[in-house]
Amino acid sequence: MTHQPETLHYAVSVVGKDRTGIVAGIAEVLFRLGCNIADSSCSMLAGEFAMILIVSHPRPFSKSKLHDELKPVCDNMGMSLAVRTLHVDEVARQETSDEICIISVYGADQPGIVYRVTRELAALGVNIMDLNTKLIGTPEEPVYVMMLEAAIPEGQTPEGLEALLGDLKKELNVEIGVRIVTPVAF
Amino acid sequence: MANLPILRYPHPVLKKVCHRVESIDTTILRLIDDLLDTMHAGLGSVGVAAPQIGVTLRVCVVDVSASRHGKDNNHGLLCMINPEIVAREGAAIMREGCMSVPDYTGDVERATGITVRFSGPDGSSQEITAVGFEAVAIQHEMDHLDGVLFLDRIVSIKTGLFRRKNYA
Repeated sequence: MTHQPETLHYAVSVVGKDRTGIVAGIAEVLFRLGCNIADSSCSMLAGEFAMILIVSHPRPFSKSKLHDELKPVCDNMGMSLAVRTLHVDEVARQETSDEICIISVYGADQPGIVYRVTRELAALGVNIMDLNTKLIGTPEEPVYVMMLEAAIPEGQTPEGLEALLGDLKKELNVEIGVRIVTPVAF
Repeated sequence: MANLPILRYPHPVLKKVCHRVESIDTTILRLIDDLLDTMHAGLGSVGVAAPQIGVTLRVCVVDVSASRHGKDNNHGLLCMINPEIVAREGAAIMREGCMSVPDYTGDVERATGITVRFSGPDGSSQEITAVGFEAVAIQHEMDHLDGVLFLDRIVSIKTGLFRRKNYA
Protein backbone atom coordinates (compact mmCIF):
# COMPACT_ATOMS: atom_id res chain seq x y z
CA MET A 1 0.00 0.00 0.00
CA THR A 2 1.56 3.31 -1.04
CA HIS A 3 1.57 6.05 1.50
CA GLN A 4 -0.07 9.25 0.31
CA PRO A 5 -0.18 11.96 2.98
CA GLU A 6 -3.39 13.53 1.72
CA THR A 7 -5.26 10.24 1.75
CA LEU A 8 -7.29 9.00 4.67
CA HIS A 9 -7.18 5.32 5.61
CA TYR A 10 -9.65 3.24 7.55
CA ALA A 11 -9.70 -0.32 8.78
CA VAL A 12 -13.10 -1.87 8.15
CA SER A 13 -14.12 -5.24 9.50
CA VAL A 14 -17.35 -7.00 8.70
CA VAL A 15 -18.29 -10.40 10.14
CA GLY A 16 -21.44 -12.46 9.92
CA LYS A 17 -23.15 -15.60 8.75
CA ASP A 18 -22.01 -16.52 5.27
CA ARG A 19 -24.30 -15.97 2.30
CA THR A 20 -23.86 -14.92 -1.29
CA GLY A 21 -23.47 -11.23 -2.02
CA ILE A 22 -21.65 -10.04 1.10
CA VAL A 23 -18.54 -8.85 -0.72
CA ALA A 24 -20.62 -7.32 -3.50
CA GLY A 25 -22.83 -5.52 -0.94
CA ILE A 26 -19.86 -3.98 0.88
CA ALA A 27 -17.88 -3.27 -2.29
CA GLU A 28 -20.88 -1.50 -3.82
CA VAL A 29 -21.05 1.00 -0.95
CA LEU A 30 -17.30 1.61 -1.07
CA PHE A 31 -17.42 2.08 -4.83
CA ARG A 32 -20.31 4.54 -4.53
CA LEU A 33 -18.39 6.54 -1.91
CA GLY A 34 -15.27 6.63 -4.08
CA CYS A 35 -13.24 4.56 -1.62
CA ASN A 36 -10.32 2.38 -2.66
CA ILE A 37 -9.97 -1.10 -1.24
CA ALA A 38 -6.25 -1.37 -0.62
CA ASP A 39 -5.18 -4.49 1.28
CA SER A 40 -7.92 -6.89 2.20
CA SER A 41 -8.35 -10.38 3.49
CA CYS A 42 -11.71 -12.10 3.47
CA SER A 43 -12.29 -15.67 4.52
CA MET A 44 -14.97 -18.10 5.34
CA LEU A 45 -14.38 -19.55 8.81
CA ALA A 46 -16.76 -22.36 9.65
CA GLY A 47 -20.05 -20.79 8.52
CA GLU A 48 -18.98 -17.20 9.13
CA PHE A 49 -17.63 -14.82 6.53
CA ALA A 50 -15.07 -12.37 7.83
CA MET A 51 -13.82 -9.34 5.92
CA ILE A 52 -10.95 -7.10 6.90
CA LEU A 53 -10.33 -4.22 4.53
CA ILE A 54 -7.96 -1.31 4.50
CA VAL A 55 -9.93 1.38 2.75
CA SER A 56 -8.59 4.71 1.54
CA HIS A 57 -10.34 7.88 0.46
CA PRO A 58 -9.10 11.28 -0.66
CA ARG A 59 -10.07 14.15 1.58
CA PRO A 60 -12.57 15.44 2.51
CA PHE A 61 -14.12 12.41 4.10
CA SER A 62 -14.97 11.15 7.55
CA LYS A 63 -15.11 7.93 9.49
CA SER A 64 -18.71 8.59 10.46
CA LYS A 65 -19.71 9.01 6.82
CA LEU A 66 -18.09 5.65 5.98
CA HIS A 67 -19.71 3.98 8.98
CA ASP A 68 -23.16 5.46 8.31
CA GLU A 69 -23.14 4.33 4.70
CA LEU A 70 -21.97 0.79 5.49
CA LYS A 71 -24.21 0.28 8.54
CA PRO A 72 -27.59 -0.23 6.81
CA VAL A 73 -26.06 -2.68 4.32
CA CYS A 74 -24.44 -4.67 7.16
CA ASP A 75 -27.64 -4.60 9.23
CA ASN A 76 -29.57 -5.82 6.23
CA MET A 77 -27.19 -8.80 5.86
CA GLY A 78 -26.94 -9.46 9.59
CA MET A 79 -23.25 -8.55 9.71
CA SER A 80 -21.33 -6.77 12.46
CA LEU A 81 -19.35 -3.69 11.44
CA ALA A 82 -16.33 -1.91 12.87
CA VAL A 83 -14.52 1.06 11.37
CA ARG A 84 -11.28 2.52 12.66
CA THR A 85 -9.29 5.49 11.36
CA LEU A 86 -5.67 4.63 10.69
CA HIS A 87 -2.80 6.91 11.58
CA VAL A 88 -0.44 7.83 8.74
CA ASP A 89 2.33 5.71 10.36
CA GLU A 90 0.12 2.65 10.26
CA VAL A 91 -0.32 2.70 6.51
CA ALA A 92 3.32 3.14 5.54
CA ARG A 93 4.56 0.30 3.39
CA GLN A 94 6.15 -2.43 5.47
CA GLU A 95 9.39 -3.70 4.00
CA THR A 96 11.47 -6.65 4.98
CA SER A 97 14.53 -8.47 3.78
CA ASP A 98 13.86 -11.27 6.24
CA GLU A 99 13.28 -14.78 5.00
CA ILE A 100 9.60 -15.62 4.84
CA CYS A 101 8.70 -19.04 6.16
CA ILE A 102 5.72 -21.26 6.44
CA ILE A 103 5.60 -22.82 9.88
CA SER A 104 3.30 -25.81 10.10
CA VAL A 105 2.10 -27.12 13.43
CA TYR A 106 -0.24 -30.06 13.77
CA GLY A 107 -1.14 -32.76 16.22
CA ALA A 108 -3.76 -34.06 18.62
CA ASP A 109 -5.99 -31.16 19.67
CA GLN A 110 -5.27 -29.73 23.12
CA PRO A 111 -5.64 -26.39 24.82
CA GLY A 112 -2.82 -23.92 24.30
CA ILE A 113 -1.29 -24.91 20.96
CA VAL A 114 -1.71 -21.43 19.48
CA TYR A 115 -0.59 -19.70 22.68
CA ARG A 116 2.46 -21.85 23.38
CA VAL A 117 3.76 -21.80 19.83
CA THR A 118 3.18 -18.09 19.19
CA ARG A 119 4.66 -17.12 22.55
CA GLU A 120 7.81 -19.04 21.64
CA LEU A 121 7.92 -17.44 18.20
CA ALA A 122 7.49 -13.96 19.68
CA ALA A 123 10.36 -14.61 22.10
CA LEU A 124 12.53 -15.65 19.14
CA GLY A 125 11.71 -12.45 17.27
CA VAL A 126 9.65 -14.18 14.61
CA ASN A 127 6.98 -11.88 13.18
CA ILE A 128 3.73 -13.60 12.18
CA MET A 129 2.29 -12.24 8.94
CA ASP A 130 -0.53 -14.66 8.42
CA LEU A 131 -2.00 -17.44 10.48
CA ASN A 132 -4.84 -19.84 10.12
CA THR A 133 -6.01 -22.74 12.17
CA LYS A 134 -8.45 -25.50 11.57
CA LEU A 135 -9.86 -28.22 13.75
CA ILE A 136 -10.08 -31.44 11.76
CA GLY A 137 -10.24 -35.15 12.53
CA THR A 138 -13.10 -36.82 14.36
CA PRO A 139 -14.83 -35.95 17.66
CA GLU A 140 -13.02 -38.94 19.20
CA GLU A 141 -9.66 -37.94 17.79
CA PRO A 142 -9.62 -34.21 17.07
CA VAL A 143 -6.57 -32.89 15.23
CA TYR A 144 -5.49 -29.28 15.27
CA VAL A 145 -3.73 -27.77 12.25
CA MET A 146 -2.08 -24.36 12.43
CA MET A 147 -0.27 -22.77 9.50
CA LEU A 148 1.70 -19.58 9.94
CA GLU A 149 3.48 -17.38 7.48
CA ALA A 150 6.19 -15.50 9.27
CA ALA A 151 9.32 -13.41 8.80
CA ILE A 152 12.29 -14.85 10.62
CA PRO A 153 15.00 -12.58 11.97
CA GLU A 154 18.22 -12.06 10.02
CA GLY A 155 20.75 -14.82 10.67
CA GLN A 156 18.05 -17.30 11.61
CA THR A 157 17.60 -20.37 9.41
CA PRO A 158 14.54 -22.63 9.10
CA GLU A 159 16.62 -25.50 10.48
CA GLY A 160 17.77 -23.36 13.39
CA LEU A 161 14.25 -22.24 14.15
CA GLU A 162 12.98 -25.81 13.95
CA ALA A 163 15.68 -26.86 16.41
CA LEU A 164 14.75 -24.03 18.80
CA LEU A 165 11.14 -25.23 18.70
CA GLY A 166 12.23 -28.83 19.35
CA ASP A 167 11.53 -28.82 23.09
CA LEU A 168 8.06 -27.38 22.62
CA LYS A 169 7.36 -29.88 19.88
CA LYS A 170 8.26 -32.70 22.25
CA GLU A 171 6.29 -31.23 25.14
CA LEU A 172 3.09 -30.69 23.14
CA ASN A 173 3.65 -33.85 21.09
CA VAL A 174 2.91 -32.00 17.85
CA GLU A 175 4.67 -31.83 14.50
CA ILE A 176 6.41 -28.53 13.78
CA GLY A 177 8.02 -27.81 10.43
CA VAL A 178 9.62 -24.66 9.02
CA ARG A 179 10.07 -24.07 5.29
CA ILE A 180 11.27 -21.04 3.38
CA VAL A 181 8.76 -19.56 0.95
CA THR A 182 10.48 -16.24 0.32
CA PRO A 183 9.34 -15.11 -3.13
CA VAL A 184 11.94 -15.04 -5.88
CA ALA A 185 12.37 -12.05 -8.16
CA PHE A 186 12.85 -12.50 -11.92
CA MET B 1 -7.27 -59.74 -0.61
CA ALA B 2 -9.12 -57.05 1.23
CA ASN B 3 -10.23 -53.49 0.90
CA LEU B 4 -8.81 -52.09 4.12
CA PRO B 5 -9.68 -48.87 5.90
CA ILE B 6 -7.26 -46.02 5.21
CA LEU B 7 -5.56 -44.97 8.42
CA ARG B 8 -5.91 -41.32 9.27
CA TYR B 9 -3.55 -38.98 11.04
CA PRO B 10 -2.85 -39.01 14.03
CA HIS B 11 -2.37 -42.75 13.63
CA PRO B 12 1.29 -43.17 14.62
CA VAL B 13 2.13 -45.49 11.70
CA LEU B 14 1.70 -42.56 9.30
CA LYS B 15 4.72 -40.82 10.82
CA LYS B 16 7.01 -43.87 10.75
CA VAL B 17 9.91 -44.42 8.39
CA CYS B 18 9.09 -47.72 6.69
CA HIS B 19 11.43 -50.69 6.42
CA ARG B 20 12.93 -51.91 3.17
CA VAL B 21 11.47 -55.10 1.77
CA GLU B 22 14.21 -57.72 1.98
CA SER B 23 12.57 -60.46 -0.05
CA ILE B 24 9.43 -60.54 -2.14
CA ASP B 25 7.40 -63.39 -0.65
CA THR B 26 3.69 -64.16 -0.41
CA THR B 27 3.30 -61.63 2.41
CA ILE B 28 4.48 -58.88 0.09
CA LEU B 29 2.31 -60.09 -2.77
CA ARG B 30 -0.69 -60.16 -0.45
CA LEU B 31 0.18 -56.65 0.72
CA ILE B 32 0.21 -55.45 -2.90
CA ASP B 33 -3.20 -57.06 -3.47
CA ASP B 34 -4.54 -55.31 -0.38
CA LEU B 35 -3.11 -51.97 -1.55
CA LEU B 36 -4.72 -52.42 -4.97
CA ASP B 37 -8.09 -53.40 -3.50
CA THR B 38 -7.97 -50.43 -1.16
CA MET B 39 -6.98 -48.07 -3.97
CA HIS B 40 -9.74 -49.35 -6.25
CA ALA B 41 -12.30 -49.02 -3.45
CA GLY B 42 -11.37 -45.38 -2.82
CA LEU B 43 -13.37 -42.88 -4.82
CA GLY B 44 -10.96 -41.58 -7.44
CA SER B 45 -7.93 -42.74 -5.49
CA VAL B 46 -4.73 -42.71 -7.55
CA GLY B 47 -2.42 -44.33 -5.04
CA VAL B 48 -2.02 -45.98 -1.67
CA ALA B 49 1.12 -46.55 0.38
CA ALA B 50 1.58 -49.47 2.77
CA PRO B 51 1.61 -47.36 5.98
CA GLN B 52 -1.83 -46.03 5.04
CA ILE B 53 -3.14 -49.54 5.68
CA GLY B 54 -0.93 -50.03 8.72
CA VAL B 55 2.09 -51.78 7.21
CA THR B 56 5.49 -50.16 7.71
CA LEU B 57 7.10 -51.52 4.57
CA ARG B 58 8.39 -49.60 1.55
CA VAL B 59 5.64 -50.58 -0.85
CA CYS B 60 3.14 -48.40 -2.69
CA VAL B 61 0.82 -48.57 -5.67
CA VAL B 62 0.03 -45.73 -8.08
CA ASP B 63 -2.32 -45.59 -11.04
CA VAL B 64 -3.26 -42.20 -12.48
CA SER B 65 -4.56 -43.58 -15.78
CA ALA B 66 -8.21 -43.08 -14.83
CA SER B 67 -7.69 -39.59 -13.40
CA ARG B 68 -8.46 -36.48 -15.45
CA HIS B 69 -5.05 -35.04 -14.55
CA GLY B 70 -3.02 -38.07 -15.46
CA LYS B 71 -4.93 -39.95 -18.12
CA ASP B 72 -2.88 -38.66 -21.05
CA ASN B 73 0.55 -39.30 -19.62
CA ASN B 74 1.15 -42.28 -17.38
CA HIS B 75 2.64 -45.74 -16.97
CA GLY B 76 -0.65 -47.39 -16.03
CA LEU B 77 -0.58 -49.41 -12.85
CA LEU B 78 2.66 -49.18 -10.89
CA CYS B 79 3.35 -51.57 -8.01
CA MET B 80 6.54 -50.30 -6.43
CA ILE B 81 8.69 -52.11 -3.90
CA ASN B 82 11.58 -50.17 -2.32
CA PRO B 83 11.13 -47.24 -4.73
CA GLU B 84 13.93 -44.68 -4.95
CA ILE B 85 13.98 -41.41 -6.82
CA VAL B 86 17.28 -41.34 -8.71
CA ALA B 87 16.71 -38.11 -10.64
CA ARG B 88 14.36 -35.19 -10.41
CA GLU B 89 13.82 -32.04 -12.39
CA GLY B 90 11.68 -28.94 -12.35
CA ALA B 91 9.33 -27.78 -9.65
CA ALA B 92 5.69 -26.89 -9.60
CA ILE B 93 3.12 -26.22 -6.95
CA MET B 94 0.01 -28.28 -6.82
CA ARG B 95 -2.73 -28.22 -4.23
CA GLU B 96 -2.83 -31.64 -2.65
CA GLY B 97 -5.09 -33.61 -0.42
CA CYS B 98 -4.68 -37.01 1.19
CA MET B 99 -7.08 -39.73 2.27
CA SER B 100 -5.12 -39.96 5.53
CA VAL B 101 -5.71 -36.26 6.25
CA PRO B 102 -9.30 -35.60 5.18
CA ASP B 103 -10.76 -32.08 5.49
CA TYR B 104 -7.57 -30.34 4.49
CA THR B 105 -5.74 -29.44 1.32
CA GLY B 106 -2.66 -27.37 0.73
CA ASP B 107 -0.21 -26.17 -1.88
CA VAL B 108 2.82 -28.43 -2.16
CA GLU B 109 5.88 -28.01 -4.34
CA ARG B 110 7.03 -31.15 -6.14
CA ALA B 111 9.46 -32.03 -8.90
CA THR B 112 7.72 -32.00 -12.27
CA GLY B 113 9.72 -34.94 -13.55
CA ILE B 114 11.29 -37.86 -11.69
CA THR B 115 13.14 -41.04 -12.51
CA VAL B 116 12.21 -43.81 -10.08
CA ARG B 117 13.94 -47.13 -9.59
CA PHE B 118 12.03 -49.91 -7.85
CA SER B 119 11.38 -53.63 -7.77
CA GLY B 120 8.22 -54.97 -9.34
CA PRO B 121 6.11 -57.72 -7.74
CA ASP B 122 8.02 -60.25 -9.91
CA GLY B 123 11.30 -59.08 -8.42
CA SER B 124 12.46 -57.39 -11.59
CA SER B 125 14.36 -54.13 -11.26
CA GLN B 126 12.52 -51.35 -13.06
CA GLU B 127 13.21 -47.74 -13.85
CA ILE B 128 10.67 -45.27 -15.17
CA THR B 129 10.61 -41.55 -15.83
CA ALA B 130 7.34 -39.97 -14.81
CA VAL B 131 6.22 -36.41 -15.43
CA GLY B 132 3.40 -34.13 -14.36
CA PHE B 133 0.58 -35.51 -12.28
CA GLU B 134 1.96 -39.03 -12.23
CA ALA B 135 5.28 -37.70 -10.90
CA VAL B 136 3.44 -35.79 -8.16
CA ALA B 137 1.38 -38.85 -7.22
CA ILE B 138 4.51 -41.02 -6.95
CA GLN B 139 6.28 -38.41 -4.81
CA HIS B 140 3.23 -38.14 -2.54
CA GLU B 141 2.99 -41.90 -2.07
CA MET B 142 6.75 -42.27 -1.59
CA ASP B 143 6.64 -39.57 1.10
CA HIS B 144 4.33 -41.86 3.08
CA LEU B 145 7.15 -44.43 3.16
CA ASP B 146 9.25 -41.88 5.05
CA GLY B 147 6.47 -40.80 7.40
CA VAL B 148 6.12 -37.51 5.56
CA LEU B 149 2.64 -36.07 5.03
CA PHE B 150 1.76 -33.31 2.59
CA LEU B 151 1.20 -31.15 5.68
CA ASP B 152 4.97 -31.29 6.13
CA ARG B 153 5.45 -29.75 2.69
CA ILE B 154 2.75 -27.07 2.48
CA VAL B 155 4.09 -23.85 0.99
CA SER B 156 0.96 -21.73 1.09
CA ILE B 157 -1.59 -21.27 3.83
CA LYS B 158 -4.53 -20.69 1.57
CA THR B 159 -6.36 -23.82 2.50
CA GLY B 160 -9.31 -25.68 1.19
CA LEU B 161 -12.33 -25.23 3.37
CA PHE B 162 -14.37 -28.11 2.14
CA ARG B 163 -13.70 -31.78 2.53
CA ARG B 164 -13.06 -33.30 -0.86
CA LYS B 165 -15.84 -35.58 -1.98
CA ASN B 166 -13.22 -37.52 -3.92
CA TYR B 167 -9.73 -37.13 -5.23
CA ALA B 168 -10.50 -37.80 -8.89
